[in-house]
Amino acid sequence: MSAAERRQRILDEVEAASWVQDGMTIAVGAPAPMALLRQLIRRGVKNLTVIDSGLSLDLLIAAGCVRKVVSYYAGGGFGVPVAPSFRRAAEHSEIDVWECEEGILTTGLQAAAQALPFLPWRGGVGTSLPEVNPDLKVFPDPVRGETLIAVPPIKPDIALLHAAAADAYGNVQHLGGPGWLDLFLHRAADRTIVQVERVIANEEIRRDPWATTIAGAEAIVRSPYGAHPFYSRGFYVQDNAHLQMYVEAATAAAQEQRSEGLAYYLAYYCREPETHADYLERIGIRRLLELHEY
Amino acid sequence: MPNDYSPQELMAIFLARDLRDGEVLRVGVAMPVIEAAVRLAHLMHGPNMELIFFGVRMNVAHLHSLPMPAFAWDRRVVRWAESYSDAGHRFDRVKDWSNHVFFIGGVQVDPYGNTNLIGIGSDYAHLRFRGPGSVGTATLSTHVGRYYIVLNAHTARTFVERCDYISAYGWGTGGADARSRFGLPGGGPKYCVTPLCVLDFAEESKRMRLRSLHPEVSLAAVQAQTNFQLVIPEHIPITDPPTIEELQVLRTHVDREGRLRR
Repeated sequence: MSAAERRQRILDEVEAASWVQDGMTIAVGAPAPMALLRQLIRRGVKNLTVIDSGLSLDLLIAAGCVRKVVSYYAGGGFGVPVAPSFRRAAEHSEIDVWECEEGILTTGLQAAAQALPFLPWRGGVGTSLPEVNPDLKVFPDPVRGETLIAVPPIKPDIALLHAAAADAYGNVQHLGGPGWLDLFLHRAADRTIVQVERVIANEEIRRDPWATTIAGAEAIVRSPYGAHPFYSRGFYVQDNAHLQMYVEAATAAAQEQRSEGLAYYLAYYCREPETHADYLERIGIRRLLELHEY
Repeated sequence: MPNDYSPQELMAIFLARDLRDGEVLRVGVAMPVIEAAVRLAHLMHGPNMELIFFGVRMNVAHLHSLPMPAFAWDRRVVRWAESYSDAGHRFDRVKDWSNHVFFIGGVQVDPYGNTNLIGIGSDYAHLRFRGPGSVGTATLSTHVGRYYIVLNAHTARTFVERCDYISAYGWGTGGADARSRFGLPGGGPKYCVTPLCVLDFAEESKRMRLRSLHPEVSLAAVQAQTNFQLVIPEHIPITDPPTIEELQVLRTHVDREGRLRR
């Protein structure tokens, strides 16, 4: 019998985030794995191609980590229809935008996962998307001659996700379903890191294997409140006050050239805290306890 | 007839009247008007409707009072779901979307109902205004049985002769075959609803036409805020105002916080 032991995959957020190197393509799940993203900001990782949407994308752009954006929706919320740092960076040509749409993105991720040179999709035919994104090719299909778009594979080096629980061997459970595109991102990516609210015993996974949403993630990070300021289903709701503060600071920096608020936010919440625990201390136990779902 | 209602309430009520029982209503990046319209229709005449909010599928006709969910995965929306369409499956059954209905906004809309969420400016690398991106509008507008363009404001900056970029193809450059020409299976945009009026698309040309002015809104006001020639019918109807019952259900069961009255 083998004397070697099965490899455990638990890493802390500092070591897991070190897998992300300058210039890589990363995919960010929903809710965003903020403990990992803050580590990227802290290290000053740069020139990333980021597949993400919304305010977590905006924060990475504000922090100077992003070269290229693959996003179907860079909305803001909290009084602004477009994420402020994204908007400014795109208008000033500081980032490249790989213009796409939700159906096109999932099709490209599927093509990567299935090792295909492209997959066809109909959504986008007749739009400007193939014009502003020349990687999308309009073509007549070889079977019926219908007009379709050939979407090339979108393959992240690393998918960064947040989930409810996992065991030490990388078997992940989500509470209330994996978020949005998480499974597409995982299947397309070379490696997947999942930060979780709790690590659970392998026995608990084997008690209900149908509940396993991702089998064999390459790394698991113990990360209670790790999605803060976003929600984590079954654990805590979104911290709207915190996000409002961020949006105001980022908007002031982007639109009014007043950058002190954003500089403070990036320093105080992202660059100074060395670990996730240090970050949570800055948020404070009182605030975290207020974010209960019921 | 009540005369104390907001334009947003009228928009929601107009849309609700046009939604039919048994349809699947897809609410994506929701505006309060659309969320209210969908719920109002469901409560008043749509017990067999399915509501899909951001991948969460539900039928809540048995609940007589629904808070409006916050955008994005509000836990209250999740708790009413009967199923999800997000567990790795997003657009797996588009072939069956002929009874699905969708709602679109836009930074720009043109005379043929094409819409733009990408941005404004002739140089794509240096847009004057970078929009939020297409969301799921290209796929949804391609495949659903019909969709509505719903705009929070009716302005000349929005209603343009040509969209700088098209993120959802409506009726292209016009003509009744504008969509079939590209093999697009969905029925395209039916109405464009704004705080001033309701617009539809002329049968043969598919050019945007004034279907009705909201009460006390003048044709001149609409034309002043539209940067292209609308098709104007000889007789311009007035949008049917809210009934007492519609307003009561809206205000007491759907929009209790008065988001449509701000």
